[in-house]
Amino acid sequence: MVNGYVAASLREALEIRASHDVVPYAGGTDLMVENRQGVEYLFLNKVPELRTITADDQYVRIGAAVTFTEAIASPDVPQLMKEAVSRIAAPAIRNAGTFGGNLGNGSAKADSVLIEFVADAKLRLVSKKGERIVDVDKFYLGRKKLDLGSDELIAEVLLPKQGLEQYSYEKVGGRNALAISRVSFAGVFAAKDGKITNVAAAFGAVADTVLRYRDIEAMLIGKTVDEAKALKADYLKAYAERMVLTRGRVSAEYRKSVCMNLLDGFLTKFGI
Amino acid sequence: MDEIRFTLNGKEVSYAGSATDRLLDVLRNDYRCTSVKCGCKEGECGACSVLIDGVLYNSCCVAMGAINGASVVTMEGFRETKRFEALEKAFGEVSAVQCGFCIPGMVLAAEALLSKNPHPTEDEIREGLSGNLCRCTGYNAIVNAVNNAAKEGNGLW
Amino acid sequence: MEKISESVVKKDHAPKVSGRSVYVADYPSEGVLCGKLLHAKVARAKVLKVEVPELPEGYFYVDAKDVPGDNNVNIVLDDTPVYCRETVEYIGEPIAMLCGPDEKVVERLRDECKVEYEELEPVLDLRAATEKFFDYNFGHGDVDKAFAEADKVYDEEFETGYQEQAYLETQGMMAEPEESGRMFVHGSAQCAYYIHGAVARALGCGPGGVHILQDVTGGGFGGKEAFPSILGCQVAVAAHKCKKPVRCVFDRREDMEYTSKRHPSLCRYKVAVKDGKVTAMDIDVKFNAGAYSTLSAVVLQRGIIASPGIYNIPNVRVHGWAVKTNTSPCGAYRGFGAPQTFFAVEMMMDHIARDLGVDSLAFKEKHLVKQGDSTSTCGKYHFPVPIPAMIEEIDKACDYRKKRAEYAKPQVGRYRRGIGMSMYFHGAGFTGSGERDLIKAVAKLRKYKDGTVEVLASNGEIGQGVRTTFPKIVAHELNLPLEKVYYNHPDTARVPDSGPTVASRSLMVVGELLRRAAIKLRSEWIDGEEQEVEEHFKEPDFLIPFYIDKFEGDAYPTYAWSVNAIELEIDTYTGIAKVLGAYGSFDVGTPIDYNVVLGQMEGGFLQGIGYASIEKMDYDAKGRIRNNSFSDYLIPTTKDVPNLKCMLHVEKYPDGPYGAKGAGELPLVGAPGAYLEAVEQALGGVTLNHAPFTAEDTLAVIAKEGI
Repeated sequence: MVNGYVAASLREALEIRASHDVVPYAGGTDLMVENRQGVEYLFLNKVPELRTITADDQYVRIGAAVTFTEAIASPDVPQLMKEAVSRIAAPAIRNAGTFGGNLGNGSAKADSVLIEFVADAKLRLVSKKGERIVDVDKFYLGRKKLDLGSDELIAEVLLPKQGLEQYSYEKVGGRNALAISRVSFAGVFAAKDGKITNVAAAFGAVADTVLRYRDIEAMLIGKTVDEAKALKADYLKAYAERMVLTRGRVSAEYRKSVCMNLLDGFLTKFGI
Repeated sequence: MDEIRFTLNGKEVSYAGSATDRLLDVLRNDYRCTSVKCGCKEGECGACSVLIDGVLYNSCCVAMGAINGASVVTMEGFRETKRFEALEKAFGEVSAVQCGFCIPGMVLAAEALLSKNPHPTEDEIREGLSGNLCRCTGYNAIVNAVNNAAKEGNGLW
Repeated sequence: MEKISESVVKKDHAPKVSGRSVYVADYPSEGVLCGKLLHAKVARAKVLKVEVPELPEGYFYVDAKDVPGDNNVNIVLDDTPVYCRETVEYIGEPIAMLCGPDEKVVERLRDECKVEYEELEPVLDLRAATEKFFDYNFGHGDVDKAFAEADKVYDEEFETGYQEQAYLETQGMMAEPEESGRMFVHGSAQCAYYIHGAVARALGCGPGGVHILQDVTGGGFGGKEAFPSILGCQVAVAAHKCKKPVRCVFDRREDMEYTSKRHPSLCRYKVAVKDGKVTAMDIDVKFNAGAYSTLSAVVLQRGIIASPGIYNIPNVRVHGWAVKTNTSPCGAYRGFGAPQTFFAVEMMMDHIARDLGVDSLAFKEKHLVKQGDSTSTCGKYHFPVPIPAMIEEIDKACDYRKKRAEYAKPQVGRYRRGIGMSMYFHGAGFTGSGERDLIKAVAKLRKYKDGTVEVLASNGEIGQGVRTTFPKIVAHELNLPLEKVYYNHPDTARVPDSGPTVASRSLMVVGELLRRAAIKLRSEWIDGEEQEVEEHFKEPDFLIPFYIDKFEGDAYPTYAWSVNAIELEIDTYTGIAKVLGAYGSFDVGTPIDYNVVLGQMEGGFLQGIGYASIEKMDYDAKGRIRNNSFSDYLIPTTKDVPNLKCMLHVEKYPDGPYGAKGAGELPLVGAPGAYLEAVEQALGGVTLNHAPFTAEDTLAVIAKEGI
């Protein structure tokens, strides 16, 4: 008895995806822990089109079946992403775990997804019928809820090439390795001609999806650092009011204070 | 898919069970590779570490369908190598083995590290072994052993 | 270093490092039935009915009705059932075992069993629990008078949580009916003869009807002291019914949730101080025993005897009680009751010192016991107390006093540092007269015609090195190369009862028997002949007899001593504490193998740091333990501490082999005290009263104190 499908090309994978009830399998690190019975896997770990990292003028394109270890070794992947994925679990998990799998699992604790949120990454989704590009925050509809058709596969992550140079990244786990994020935070800062052009902040592992509030960010956009400083208290207050954390084994109060401390630290780091 | 063909410790084998079966279970039950230990089945302890195409994996988190065409090495195969001898000696000299349950996985993690980085720093060793829990040693002896193996086994990696 | 201390490559090194060692799960499954326990899903209930699905040919349902002998497992008392009686008393209590050839089918059948419960109100809160399994009182001096005359009285409560042994190999036992009718039980265990007694009783077959083999065991730390007796009975009863070998290996979640762990505790200390010195302690120690008494009596005894710490307190009153709650029974874990009370007393002394405006270390030094002083049970410290010298060793290793003074100054910024110190003993061997009255250890040496010598004893290799250190002692006395002396895993059909593998006793007590046996064999040695010699335990003659009813006399013949220091840095944004350095000076007498002892110290010390910091386990309002996996119950990885600095300080014990004392448990005991003292300092001198102290706890304190 052998069930399941091994795809040798993206085209073959999409054929199978369209015609069978299959669970896409990339690295297996989440699926094998879930250990769902009676499912058939579509193995994507050998699909060449999903295994490359390329770069064009605008984006670094990370294939869905690229592992975290491979991304860490790539000269094209931005440092912020490398820093985040190098804190995932431990080498054996990073050798298996993939960008597509991290997304497909639909968890707000996914460390690479946090970076995709803060970086305004896009995803290329493909099916037999064609392809579409979606913003990562539109892709995540809720806990374990994704905007992914039953005939679609995640093909690649489109990570902006520029603008991620100045950042804060913090992963708060229960220990220094083999740790699932209790809070993860990424902030990206950019300024031009003395005015803030970007001050993105994203929070992982605290709600059903990664949290990011563009309207609060907007308070500081276009301001000088000094102007932003004057607005800092209001800005922090806005976050404190907006962020409602899901309950977990580690208390929401704790995670909320960590979020606020890290956000504060992020602004401080860039002089705000 | 009709059968899953892969290389196990240098020998070609084919598996006719389910593609969703865990590599860990199959290695232990079907191929009697009992050096591969089950500590948690959740990718959280490293006791079931194996090398697939030279890369370290937790075999509990690998479905059989994913290893079609791959080369799997467990301690049953690795213990026949010169590199193993160097690690065995280094672990022995500092008594890095206590209960022994984590050790086959730990040694394979060390092999995976040294094959990429033959002269690791202490921090790099700690990073390389960070997915392998040991409850007995406090890790000092294991880290020292890997460090010594890297020095003594100069040229093997 | 003495010759005997020189390290060798351990006897079990080659098979373990190459993965050839056979643990219980590694035996082939052909012809072996897989057993899976049906665990209770409610904390307290009458079991009205179990609806068992139709069983395919070759599958079995085994419960209390199938126990041919006594359904009570003998541990200290007999209250633990093999399979549940009319009621279940905790979530996870074994109701039955499903057995059959295919593991997946067995799991399905087990999950299809419908248990009908009549739920009863469980007792879950340790504070509210009043049903006492054990209740002890002892003391000396005039406590009431000392309190009446005190300048100041302190009153604090300390709390500690569960600690899970988290051995890498889960619990597992296997029973095989032999053709002769004898039952062969083997598996992962510390105490072959404990299992022997328990299984013989469950099967009602007499001691000759069973034999027990300890398989290669993937860690114990106390967790495989009593629990394998229960699981051993369960598989033996199943094999008896199925008439086939039955093996039951726990999965990780089952193991973490349902097997014994360290007792959570509540300790209240009332302390009288006069003229800057502690004159009296009035101590109440309450342990959460869980649903059955298992080892709680002896765990509690060790805990309360240690409760005044290593300080000479003229007036002491101690009350200790172990109470029943409807939770997993707690049991043995390295340190055996002492980590809880040493934590409490170390923090208490620290808090008093701070209140008095004196340095904690200086305050402790002022109260230290010394040779000749009376113990908490009016016994005597017969041998030198090396603590002052060990304090200096630690001070030298990490510049303790200087850092302690430096970190005491006000700190600002995101990261804050602290350093703390603890000092403590571990009573070597069994508490009281257990060795003399209950264990009566016997050890043998058998010499074969070819001149090889086999050690015959019942102490299990669980990683601590007895398969190496026992032969080292014998080879040393017989002047033989180490290859000529060997020690196999004990099988009760072949070895005498040299007692259990517990209480840091194996090397000190049984090692000494073997040394004497080897001397005897040397004097009787005849080349080419098979010979056997035997030695029996003899109590050292210097002991003040111990009476357990009064807690009076020498509770231990001698003590292993230790001083720990931990330096850390707290991230005030996240509460995460980073251990910058952990230093331990350990006196376990003469190391019989330097590397082996060092490995014990390092491993135990890290378990203690885990206990102090990240190892948090708790149950919910229904009594269910939620931290039941390695992702929820966190133990330290390679990246959580730097290299630990462990030093050996040798104060020889004349009645241990070459001066060796108990070693295994000592290094875990003191970490929580040192760790919390460091956290207190990093947070600007706050007062902390519980362990583990997590990042979450730290942020709560920061918020509350406005740090």
